[in-house]
Amino acid sequence: MELEIKREKLVLRVGTQKYEWHIEPRYWRNPFIYVGILILVPIAVYFLYPQWLPTVIDANLLAAIAIPLGWMTIGTGRMNFGPQFYIGVGGFTAALCSINLGWPPFVTLLMAILAGLIFGLLMSPLSIIAGGLYYTLLTLLFPLVFLEITFIYTDLFKGDTGLFGIAQMVNVGHFTVNQFLICLMSLFMMLLYMFIVDKIMRSKFAASMAAINDDEEVAEAMGVNVKKIKIISFTIPAVMIAVIGWFYAHYYGTFSGVTYLPLAFMVKVLLVSMIGGRVQIYGNVIGGYFIVILELFLSSVLGEYSQVVFPIILLILLLTLPEGLFGLYRKRRYREYLPTLHVRR
Amino acid sequence: MTEILKIDSVSKHFGGLMAINDVSFSIIEGETLGLMGPNGAGKTTLVNMITGKYLADSGNIQFMGHDITRMPAYRRCKLGISRTYQIPRPFPELTALMSVVVSALYGKDRANQSLEDAATEATHYLEFCGLFSKRNVLGKDLTLYELRGLELARALATTPKLIFVDEVMAGLNPDEAYKAVRLLERAKEEFGVTILWIEHVMAALMQAAQRVVVLHYGQKICEGLPQDVANDPYVIECYLGSCHV
Ligand SMILES: Nc1ncnc2c1ncn2[C@@H]1O[C@H](COP(=O)(O)OP(=O)(O)OP(=O)(O)O)[C@@H](O)[C@H]1O
Ligand SMILES: [Mg+2]
Repeated sequence: MELEIKREKLVLRVGTQKYEWHIEPRYWRNPFIYVGILILVPIAVYFLYPQWLPTVIDANLLAAIAIPLGWMTIGTGRMNFGPQFYIGVGGFTAALCSINLGWPPFVTLLMAILAGLIFGLLMSPLSIIAGGLYYTLLTLLFPLVFLEITFIYTDLFKGDTGLFGIAQMVNVGHFTVNQFLICLMSLFMMLLYMFIVDKIMRSKFAASMAAINDDEEVAEAMGVNVKKIKIISFTIPAVMIAVIGWFYAHYYGTFSGVTYLPLAFMVKVLLVSMIGGRVQIYGNVIGGYFIVILELFLSSVLGEYSQVVFPIILLILLLTLPEGLFGLYRKRRYREYLPTLHVRR
Repeated sequence: MTEILKIDSVSKHFGGLMAINDVSFSIIEGETLGLMGPNGAGKTTLVNMITGKYLADSGNIQFMGHDITRMPAYRRCKLGISRTYQIPRPFPELTALMSVVVSALYGKDRANQSLEDAATEATHYLEFCGLFSKRNVLGKDLTLYELRGLELARALATTPKLIFVDEVMAGLNPDEAYKAVRLLERAKEEFGVTILWIEHVMAALMQAAQRVVVLHYGQKICEGLPQDVANDPYVIECYLGSCHV
């Protein structure tokens, strides 16, 4: 392993592999502004409207689910309609370990990662066996089956009441400050995911993923190990999403299947992903904020009917905005810098 | 005269249809082998079997001493087998450059190749195929002629030893067809690849191929020098459509 710093890029060599990483400061302005604004939001909310902190946390976490979901969609070339399954896996693992065994959050985090890894690996062959609509339907079924299981084994999962008494993530003794800290953590989590996925979307790995997304058979004929890449880009995002489940469990102190596993939650996540776009994942944050605000607005205006309106919005966006809001921006201000990826799904 | 590929009595059926029935022949390193046959003769199926899209029902395929009969397609590619498609299959949402980059990155296990190195290399193949000015055009926006060039660039970028070319002239006007054939000849000179060339236009194969194999209803009915094959009464009969196997 060897790291070399050139004028405008870092070159990392691991064995016979070589990775290049552009560090030209003239491309740093926009990311800096973007991250700066994102950090200002919770601070401003804390001082001006502290009662809105949960909304900001929600938005960050939704975006943090949608970002790995984007990777999963591209890398497997299929739409996964059941990301909330992994929320359930991570959340229940964390909750059960915390309540029954009394383990602290950072230990339950490891367990949630492990559980996500196991379930991700177990389910990843689906992306090889099943294609198109069948895959989408199967992934849609899993969380619902999981929900049933929480009701059937209700003494373990407390399907009816939810699990209570999960250890708090942070506790400094002041409610608003707690929320502020959690808000910062959710932001950090989201930014970390964005950073990781963004780096992957600009790597060699992304080239193979984009090829798989367009035509698996041709990709394989051109030497891409399609199965390997699909399994990797199914499993790692699954783990990343499971970690968000862990976050939910320790943030609320309660965890119940009914909150996360039904379709309503899935629709929210997919909406964020639709609005945000899947290759250019920066839009997911805007998608997250947009959805939580839309949800507040719709439920205050329409009440119960907002449950119906959300899927309709999702459907319209699926048809009209394949590359998300950021895709629109990019179309207008197209600038070829590195080879760029466009992705169909 | 070393054999680069040796096919030994392979068969493939789709349901009741024998698409390939006990076909054997070999390809010699450096040659251009023509593969002819009427529509539905099984030419594309044979290529699909050698490149790994389908597995042979029976028989044996050897490539440079490796038994590749049951090998997954991507490993055959890394060994040095590449192909173009009869109906071009570009990556519709990737730019021409990125499609070739994929081949350059994954077509062979190469040490010390970053994404940008691959892009530089891909540029070379695009330029060779006359597509440099189209490097930022999406696959779905290219014309048929450009797509044929892109298919070849993509195939060459995997640094193959053997290329299967499934019809270069179909659908092109005479001028473009001539250019496409010239491109293939140049590729052969410059990269020293062995070519198996499927074509319906007999005249083109007569000129370019050193040997010709003729398939009919999944069976090899003739193999030999182009002029001998062209004068074979049985082959002529099959092309006129009155023979039965
Ligand atoms: N995947 C498949 N499933 C079922 N039948 C198939 C399949 N692929 C090919 N066939 C059949 O196998 C036979 C041979 O087809 P193939 O495409 O190999 O012919 P070809 O020689 O390439 O013809 P053409 O000159 O039209 O390209 C045809 O009858 C075709 O219908
Ligand atoms: Mg054919």
